[in-house]
Amino acid sequence: MSKTPRLRIAGGTVYDPANGVDGVVRDVCIEGDRIVAELPSGAPRLDARGMVVMPGGVDIHAHIAGSSVNHARRLLPEEHTADPAPAPRLDGGAVARSGTGGTLPSTFATGYRYAGLGYTTVMEAAVAPLAARHAHAELDDTPIIDAGFFVLLGNDEYLLRQLAAGEAARARDYAAWLLGTTRAYAIKIVNPGGIAVWKGVGGGDRRNVSGVDDTLGSSAVTPRKILEVLAGAANALGLPHPVHIHCNNLGQPGNAATTLESMKALSGQRAHFTHLQFHSYGGAPGKGWASAAREVIEYVNAHTEVSVDVGQVMFGSATTVTADSPVEHLLYTSSGRKWVNVDIELESGCGIVPYAYREKAAVAALQWAVGLELFLLARDPWRVVLSTDHPNGGTFLSYPELIRLLMDRAYRDERLKGVNQKLLAGSALLDGLAREYTLGEIATITRAGPARLLGLKDKGHLGPGADADVTIYTNEADRAKMFSTPRYTIKAGTLVVEDGQLRRAPAGRRLAVRPGYDAAVTKDDQYACVAFENYGAEPVP
Amino acid sequence: MTDRTVANVTCLGCGCACDDITVLVTRDRIAEARNACALGAAWFGDGSVPAETRVNGRSASLEQALTEAARLLTGATHPLVYLAGDVSCETQREAVAIADRLHAAIDSLAATAATAVLAAQRRGRAGATLGEIRQRADLVVFWAVDPGARYPRYASRYAVEPRGVAAPQGRASRMLIAVDVGERRGPAEVNGRLAIAPADEVDSLEMMRATVQGRAAGADARFQPAIDLARRTTEARYVAIVADGEPGPIPPDPARAEALVTLAQALNGPTRCALSTLRGGGNRSGADAVLTWQTGFPFAVDFARGYPSYQPRTDAAALLGGGEVDAALVIGAPATLPEPVAAALAQVRSVAIGPRAGAASFQPAVAVDTGAAGIHEGGTAFRMDDVPLPLRPSLQGARAALATVRALRDRLGA
Repeated sequence: MSKTPRLRIAGGTVYDPANGVDGVVRDVCIEGDRIVAELPSGAPRLDARGMVVMPGGVDIHAHIAGSSVNHARRLLPEEHTADPAPAPRLDGGAVARSGTGGTLPSTFATGYRYAGLGYTTVMEAAVAPLAARHAHAELDDTPIIDAGFFVLLGNDEYLLRQLAAGEAARARDYAAWLLGTTRAYAIKIVNPGGIAVWKGVGGGDRRNVSGVDDTLGSSAVTPRKILEVLAGAANALGLPHPVHIHCNNLGQPGNAATTLESMKALSGQRAHFTHLQFHSYGGAPGKGWASAAREVIEYVNAHTEVSVDVGQVMFGSATTVTADSPVEHLLYTSSGRKWVNVDIELESGCGIVPYAYREKAAVAALQWAVGLELFLLARDPWRVVLSTDHPNGGTFLSYPELIRLLMDRAYRDERLKGVNQKLLAGSALLDGLAREYTLGEIATITRAGPARLLGLKDKGHLGPGADADVTIYTNEADRAKMFSTPRYTIKAGTLVVEDGQLRRAPAGRRLAVRPGYDAAVTKDDQYACVAFENYGAEPVP
Repeated sequence: MTDRTVANVTCLGCGCACDDITVLVTRDRIAEARNACALGAAWFGDGSVPAETRVNGRSASLEQALTEAARLLTGATHPLVYLAGDVSCETQREAVAIADRLHAAIDSLAATAATAVLAAQRRGRAGATLGEIRQRADLVVFWAVDPGARYPRYASRYAVEPRGVAAPQGRASRMLIAVDVGERRGPAEVNGRLAIAPADEVDSLEMMRATVQGRAAGADARFQPAIDLARRTTEARYVAIVADGEPGPIPPDPARAEALVTLAQALNGPTRCALSTLRGGGNRSGADAVLTWQTGFPFAVDFARGYPSYQPRTDAAALLGGGEVDAALVIGAPATLPEPVAAALAQVRSVAIGPRAGAASFQPAVAVDTGAAGIHEGGTAFRMDDVPLPLRPSLQGARAALATVRALRDRLGA
């Protein structure tokens, strides 16, 4: 007789878009850490009548672990002091850890708070290869959630040298080797070529690239070429997630043109464009801002190979933390706030500026509106994922409020009246976008869609064989309240949140890939100052 | 006759964390640490460590020691956990869990650079990993420090001699400037040097920043050499300013630390610049990183309220001296402790777990000798620039600090 734990979630209203289930009253059965088709009638039951049942949330893009995140934590003691997080009381006297919150919570608090929000899978969006070992150590201390990270490759100087030499195959093998040796999940490009230029690559007085056809030293090396080669590599290697792209010119007025050029450069190839909101502005530098959300999302709507996450801006405190260091220098000079810059040898950068988005600030209001336009004008929820680029546009704790904005037009219109209108003239939001997301669509943009885009076949759905990651909500009219306090969160078959309280905190799993590559290709260490054998994040005997 | 050779070993003798050491082992002793500097060679030694376990001065079993340690720590009202040197991040993570469980105060060797850390918390930083300085820097300003003394291979591995992608001739591609501030002098072998009176140091840094930002810097002749240097820095492609984060002959000055940060930040207007803050060894940067990710604060944390709070103005010596803690758990090599902390530890009952714990000057009630991270034990350590590196043990047989601290954690139900 098997002792495998079983649970029947009985009588809930199930939203499981991947299996075509849209608000159907049915049971969900769990055996061990998997969803199963059926259980004997005597199996333990969890009464979910009147409640909403969804797969566990999947965050496709957040900054939660690693050297940049830790630099940001270190920079913000005042936030941590203001948001203490005592250890939760777990069942059976199990020991939990205390911590602190703010926009960049400590690792244990990060795991607990995601689980408390009904999220069970999170992707850390930007890790420099040199610091991969650090990111893994932090994820080891981040309980409950399954997690992986995207490794930064869009400004890697070994890669750029391969491009200059026309060695696309070698570049692909290098990407494969790097993914394996850092135990990463996907390839990340941040401001292709722009960080390298900030650090001095290509010479001259430039501090950034301005578009996809700027050259870096060699005419063979352009942002366009970096996009093409890495998108091609991800697809040729059969990675579960395509290349994950943060475009050039983040946050600049008029950058929608660059975004569309980047998308067109990869026409016909799978690619994921992240925090699209920050890349969908009209206007021109020095000449003002406008929304270009409609133009950008219409391209996305028409091109099924493209997927995006929105990177919504939410009013309140945020911390901008990114590998896009030239952008952070601009933000530092314009905001006068404290600023961290760390140039990471031969690979990438790191920039941090604490920030706040205020309703009464014209640009912040525009950014807020652009994000909502992208959501509301998107035709295929499977390719448009909910994100705030945590903690850049707002923290993950603001997701419930964002869900309410999407589901509740009256609430949204009321909020819209309160924001600075100066730059909203061309915004579709003012035309009275009537759309209200359904619960099925919310389940798609927070679970089924991101899981599918990440190639996580056992996540984001509730079919037999799926990971038993399930969130159960009380069905409340106030969707922000409903989504901020799930009644139950089940992770890998374990009830981690019960009656709204964190009760158990098992370790999560690491998500990583290890594609094959030509053994002859390894990092040349002519200039490296970490021994080749000590590079990456492989266990050392 | 060499019995074994272990390559790519990371040295924790200083914050450079050179990971190119080849250790030659003969009859279970380190015969040579090839590539190591004098400081590194002394850190490795022959690798012999005592293997005593003592309770109240008498030999005891590990069982007895852990039982007594748990009794002592749980009986205390407010214990202090102190992360000394030569333990891995893995061990540090266990130690923080113990502090959390005991509602203890916790501090570490990272606190020796408190002034620089606090300046970075107020203003941020303009920094780079050491390898990036090697690749880029064409002008290196040694601000009141000669790294040769406490960071012997800093010049040969990072900022001065090695070739980099934008410094193809290595040393010959770089201009080196020494700024001598009183007795705190820069290196001897430089392309230029200037002297600043200690009383003028902060004002000089501010004058330099004004110059870099194109503001009038006044006409005081005292500041002219610094103003000339500022003009020169704006003409470089990539400036590295090297300063010591560790305590020196004069008391640390918050204004000086902040002026260094803001000058480096300002230089990123007209050119590029990184401030390289030198930090000591023993994996103290790992303690800073681990405490930051587990608690949100880099040092001087107190769990007394059931969650981490930050007490950066009260260092461990002050806690001990002021009677605010009534027991201590030292994890790591007692020999690495700052002198005031070691002296103050004598005032409370304590447990020490780490390399040569039994030889601690503060006479711990419970002392468990272990091996040293990087010599007898693997794991992870951080370079002074926060780059993580694996540790490769070259000797076997010593008691592992990680397993010992985990066993204590289990005893404490943490």
